[in-house]
Amino acid sequence: MPRNKPEAFLPLRSNWFHILLSLVGGEQHGYGIMQDVLERSEGTVRLWPATLYGSLKRLIQEGLIIESGDRPAPQFDDARRRYYKLTSLGQEVLDLESQRLKDLVRILTAKRRQEARS
Amino acid sequence: MIRWLAGCGRLYRAVAHAYPQDFRITCGDGLEQLGDDVVPLVWREQGAFGLARLFGDLIVQLPIEYVKTCFDRMEALMMTGDPFEGTWRAINDKSLWDPKYTPEQACLRFEATEDGFLLVAYGIKDGKAVAERPTTIVADGRRRPIVDLNGRPIAGVPPGAVSFGRRADARTLEAGAEADGKSLGRGIYQVSPDGKSMTVTTEGMGVRGPFKVVATFERVPDPCLDEA
Repeated sequence: MPRNKPEAFLPLRSNWFHILLSLVGGEQHGYGIMQDVLERSEGTVRLWPATLYGSLKRLIQEGLIIESGDRPAPQFDDARRRYYKLTSLGQEVLDLESQRLKDLVRILTAKRRQEARS
Repeated sequence: MIRWLAGCGRLYRAVAHAYPQDFRITCGDGLEQLGDDVVPLVWREQGAFGLARLFGDLIVQLPIEYVKTCFDRMEALMMTGDPFEGTWRAINDKSLWDPKYTPEQACLRFEATEDGFLLVAYGIKDGKAVAERPTTIVADGRRRPIVDLNGRPIAGVPPGAVSFGRRADARTLEAGAEADGKSLGRGIYQVSPDGKSMTVTTEGMGVRGPFKVVATFERVPDPCLDEA
């Protein structure tokens, strides 16, 4: 049963976060997501195909992403590939998770400052 | 070496083909395609170790996908249903009907099918019970020829007309039809967070000309229509 409230997805699984992040700039196909995650993480996070597609299936089922009917211009398109894009729920979940991570970093920074002072 | 790598690609495709039907319906042949594409890349970057990881990922995820599919099916059997599933009746006081298409009563029934919904619209208009042709909505964003429930062409539908459905999120469903890239009609169905009401926005071209409707529906038990 898909979860309707964005808060219900938090904390977001690492793979899901990486995939949603890759779709922020627009629709992307599986290979593009894999390469984007690899480059962004400077080679430390590689989403292997079966793991990636397992996550994509889950994200579709949960309504966080959707297969996009829009295709890039023919010269940039690969007809074999399926493109995915964020839904409004996916966008909300990503925003909430980003905020959650920011809050954690803020707490850590405050604790370190406090530690340095004492 | 190239032939050997092509063989690895074919082997990857064959194993990926053994993934559950539900997985393949959602992802198409994306996994086969991607695995086949990355075999040479992984070999170039990581050699035999990389290929072992690539196939290991595929083989480890295979039983996991079968287990998840079983859980999904069990969950589907146990849960009350999708937020759309069931019968909805229009609240005329809260609806903006097009003057040309104003029913006394209107009901929608969403029935879950294997790959989407069967939508049945019926009601009372000019004192008579009326019903529209049931339509299927497959919310995967793809365009499909408009045919009846038996797969036959429908009289009056322009040649080349296609229908589509999308699920923007768990509570929002979009369905429509187009021909030659031009919209024939489009509807957005949005269930409220509490699942008790649904807003339906439809616009398009009907037999009496263009129309636009924003109607509010409430969930009701069957049968929907009041007794005359």
